[in-house]
Amino acid sequence: MSGKSAEKTIKEPARDIKVWREVDVVVVGGGPGGVASAISAARSGAKTVLIERYGHIGGMATGGLVNIIPNLSDISGKQHIYGLTMELLNRLDKRGGTSYTRKKDRGSTEKKAVDYYLDANLGWFYVRNDHNTGMQRVLYSAVVDPEILKDELNDMVLGAGAELLLHSWGTQVIMKNNAVRGVFFESKSGRQAILGKVIIDATGDGDIFVAAGAELDNECDNKRRTAWLALVWWLTNVNIRKYDNFKASQPEKYKELIQELIKLGGYPMFFKGILKNQPNTVWYHCMQPQPQHTDAMDVEQLTKIDVQARKRALITYDFMKKYVPGFERSFIMLTAPQLGTQGGRRIIGEYILTEKDMETDEVFEDTIAVLANNDYGEISAKHPTLCIPYRCLVPKCVDGLLVAGRAFSSADTINETFNIIPHCIAYGQAAGTAAAMAVKAGIQPRRVDYKALRANLVKQGVNIPEYSGKKKSESLTRSKPKDFYYQKYTSGGG
Amino acid sequence: MAKNISVKTIKERARETKVIREADVIVVGGGPGGIGAAVSAARNGADTVLIERYGYLGGMGTGGLVTIIPLLTDYTGKQQIIGLTQEWIDRLIARNAVDFPPEEHWGSIDKELVRYYFQRSFFMTRLDRVSYAAIIDAEISKYILNEMVEEAGVKVYCHAWGTEPIMEGNHCKGVIIESKSGRQAILGKVVIDSTGDGDLFPYAGIEYEDNIPPNFRIANLALCFWVDGVDLKKANEYRQKNPHQFMELSRKAFESGAFGGYFTSNLPDQDSIVWFHNRYANKSQVDVEELTRVEFEGRKKMMKTYDFFKKNMPGFEKSFIVLSAPQLGTRSSRRMVGEYKLTQKDLSDNQPFEDTIAIFPDLDRGQESLNHPNMYIPYRCLLPKNVDNMLVACRAFSSDEHVQEWFNLIPHCIAFGEAAGTASALALKAGVGIKQVDIKALQKQLSKQGVPLPDVTKKVDYKYTGPALTTPPFGAH
Repeated sequence: MSGKSAEKTIKEPARDIKVWREVDVVVVGGGPGGVASAISAARSGAKTVLIERYGHIGGMATGGLVNIIPNLSDISGKQHIYGLTMELLNRLDKRGGTSYTRKKDRGSTEKKAVDYYLDANLGWFYVRNDHNTGMQRVLYSAVVDPEILKDELNDMVLGAGAELLLHSWGTQVIMKNNAVRGVFFESKSGRQAILGKVIIDATGDGDIFVAAGAELDNECDNKRRTAWLALVWWLTNVNIRKYDNFKASQPEKYKELIQELIKLGGYPMFFKGILKNQPNTVWYHCMQPQPQHTDAMDVEQLTKIDVQARKRALITYDFMKKYVPGFERSFIMLTAPQLGTQGGRRIIGEYILTEKDMETDEVFEDTIAVLANNDYGEISAKHPTLCIPYRCLVPKCVDGLLVAGRAFSSADTINETFNIIPHCIAYGQAAGTAAAMAVKAGIQPRRVDYKALRANLVKQGVNIPEYSGKKKSESLTRSKPKDFYYQKYTSGGG
Repeated sequence: MAKNISVKTIKERARETKVIREADVIVVGGGPGGIGAAVSAARNGADTVLIERYGYLGGMGTGGLVTIIPLLTDYTGKQQIIGLTQEWIDRLIARNAVDFPPEEHWGSIDKELVRYYFQRSFFMTRLDRVSYAAIIDAEISKYILNEMVEEAGVKVYCHAWGTEPIMEGNHCKGVIIESKSGRQAILGKVVIDSTGDGDLFPYAGIEYEDNIPPNFRIANLALCFWVDGVDLKKANEYRQKNPHQFMELSRKAFESGAFGGYFTSNLPDQDSIVWFHNRYANKSQVDVEELTRVEFEGRKKMMKTYDFFKKNMPGFEKSFIVLSAPQLGTRSSRRMVGEYKLTQKDLSDNQPFEDTIAIFPDLDRGQESLNHPNMYIPYRCLLPKNVDNMLVACRAFSSDEHVQEWFNLIPHCIAFGEAAGTASALALKAGVGIKQVDIKALQKQLSKQGVPLPDVTKKVDYKYTGPALTTPPFGAH
C-alpha cells in the first residue's frame, strides 16, 4: 500500500498572493519575545503588526502553562531585570494576577523564608544554592496567572498601537536579494502576505530565519533542559494539607509510592499552585526527552511526544488519585494548549554568546540587557550577571531581520540558562526598539547606532550598565558546573 | 491603527514541496468529524493519515470547551445515535469522566425527574422530557481520542495545519501541510475535509454557501471559559434564599457587559467549577480579522464577568479562571453545496433516503419536532458535486442554514465522519470511486459498527398523539 516515501517532491506552481498589510515592522510570534517586540516597536513610532498562531498571546507563559518569571534578581537579591517585565508584573499585581517572593526575603538565607518558598516549588523558581557560602537563598521570582496575563498582554499590545492578528501562522518569507521584505501567513482567510521594512522572528524556533535561509545552530547536548519538551498539566481539588501530613508522617510509605509511580511510567514531581485562590491546585511540568532530534522541529516527533505525554499524565493522575492521600477527589483541570518547547534552533548572529562570556564580565558597547546568572554553579557565584549584546539578535548574513526570543545567537550552554520568559521579553524590547530606529533612519537593523539604542532602552526603564569602552581581560577559571543544573528535573527524579 | 487595506498581490514563486507520506485516506482536521472519519477508515483497512492543527484531538469537544454530546435519543427515549459516539462515551464511563441520565430515564415525562435533570444540565431535557445527553471531561477525552486513533492504526500529525488541497482537474491528489517541519505534502487516494469550516473548498473549487441569518445560533462565535474555586453550595443557597437579589445581580452583571449565567460542571469531583458559554456576533467565522476581534472582545468580557462575579456574587469570592478555551467556539461558516443539499423541506419530511447513513433525533423545534421526531441523513450530503475523491465530514456538510442550525453538533459530526471514513475504505477496497461505493454494503457495514439505520424500503407514516408541549422550544427564531 504505502508508507513513508523518500525524497519525493510535488510541484507547487507560482501564484499571486494577496498583500494584507504593508507596515514598518512585522513581528512573527506572540510569545514573550514577540509581545515585547511589538509593544516596543509600536511605542517607538513604528507601524507594527504582530501575528500569532494561537488565539491568545503570551506563548509559553500562557498557552504553555509555564507561567513563571524567575531570575529577576541575582542570588544576593539584587534586581537586574526591569523594563517591560516589571511593567507587566506591576499591571498584573493590581489585578491579583501574580505572586512573588517578598522584597524583604530576596537574597535571604533565613531558614524559615527559604523553607517556605522551597515547599511550593522544589527549588525551581524561588530558591538557588549560593556556591560561595553553600547556603540556599531566595531569589526575586514571580508566578503569573495565565488567563489574566492573556488579557493584560492584549491591552499592552493594543495600547501601544500595534495591530494584532491571531490564528495566523507565519510560515514563509518574501526575500529581495539578501533581505527579508515580508512574510506569508496561513489562516482561515487563506494564504496572505504582510510586507514590512523589518521582520522580527519571535517564533521561538527561528521559523522565519530558516525560511530566509539564515545560518543557524541547532546542536544541543541531549542532557540539557532545552533538549526536552514539556507538557504541563494542572490537577485541582487536591487536599494539600492531607498530602503534606501523609508525606511527613509516613515518609517511607510515601517514598515507596513514588518509586512505584516512576516504575509505572508516571511523573512524580509537581509544584504547588501558588497563585492566589489556588490552594487546591498542583502543577505538573512533565519533561519528555526528544529521542531523535533535540531541536523540537520534527512534526512527527512532536506528535509522538504529545501523545506520550498525555499517556503519562493519565498514568500519574490515576495513580495519585488511587493511592496518594489528598488526591482522592482530584481531577485534571487542564493540559497546556501548547506543547512546552524549551529550545531548538539558534541564529548565527553577528555575535555568538558562549560559556566564555559568562566569565569575562564584559560590558559590551551594544549591551541591551543585564541578566542575573543564577543557574550555572560556581561560575554563577563568581559572575552573578551576564551582559547581552544587541549583535546576538542580528543575523550574520540576512538583512531586514532581527531575532527576538530564545533563538538568539548563543551556544547551547548559554541558551539553556538565558532563554526563559524575562530574558525573551528583554530581547524583544531591544529588537522592537532597534527595528523602529532602523525604520526611522532608513537603515538596516545591523547599522543601528549602539549608543542611541542603549539610551532609548534606558529611557524605557531597562537596566543597562555604563559602557566604559574598556574590554575586560580574560582570566578564565574554566570551572565548569559539575552537572547540568536542570538535569534532576528532566530526569524526573527529585 | 493601520488602515491601508490593499488589494495588492505579491508573487509567490513556484517551488518543489517535499512529499512526506502517501496514504489511502487523508483526513484534514481532528475534531469530532475527523475522529469519526479517521477511526472508521483505518478500522476498515485503509492506510489513514489524520492532520490536526493543535496538539490534541477533539476540536470543539475538547479545545473549544464545548464538552457536551447532546441529542442522542429521540423524544420517545430511543437512542438513535450510537456508533463511535457511544464508544467515546463508553470509554469515558470506564474512567468515571462523564455525566448523563441513566437509560431508564430517557424519554421520561415525569415532572419531578424532568425538573431534576433540567436543573442538573440544560442539555438533559428537551420537549418536556428527559433526553440522553452526555457531559464529558475535556482532558480525559483528549487522551481517549488519542487512544482510539492509535488503536485503529491512524498515522497522526499534530501541530500540523492542512492548508491546501493539491488539485489536478477535479481530482485531489493530496494536501499541503504547514508545521514546525516547514511546508510539506501528503498524497492520498481519498481526501476528507473535516476542518469544520471547509477550508479546502475554495482551493478545490467546491461550491459552497455561507449565508447565516444573524438571529441563528450558528451565527455566533464563542469563547468559553471555566471558573474554579467557586463555593457552589454557598452560591446555590444564596440563589435559593434570595431569588430576587440573585436576579438583580444577574441583571447588573449583564448591564455592566458581563455574562449573567453559568453552567455547573457536574462531572465527578468537579464540585467547584462553573462554565461560561457565550455568543459573539460576527461577520464571518473564517475571516481572520473577525476571529482576532472576537478573541479580544471575548477576553475583555470574560474578565468583566470574572471581576463582577468575584466582587458581587456570594460563593465566588475565591474563584479564579481555570482557562479560556484554546480554540474559539466556531459554530458555522462554509457549507458545501453537494450532491444532495438537506433543506428546511427535509425537516418536515420524515422520509428515509435510499442512501441514509445516520438518523438524528430532532428535539429543538418544539411541536414541529414532535411531529417530525427524526431526521434522516443521506450519504450524498457528504459528497461534493465537482470533485471525484473528496468527502466532507464535519459541520460543512451540504445543508441549508436551517438544517445546519440544528444538526451540526458533536454527535452529528461524528456520524458524518463515521460514514465518510467507512465509505472511503469500502470504495478503495472495491477499487471504485467514492461516488460509486455500494450503498447497501456501506449501510450494512455501518449497522455492523452499531449505527442505527432505517429500513429504507418502508415509508414512515407518523403522527404525534402525546400531550401538548408546556415549554417553549430551545431556540425559537
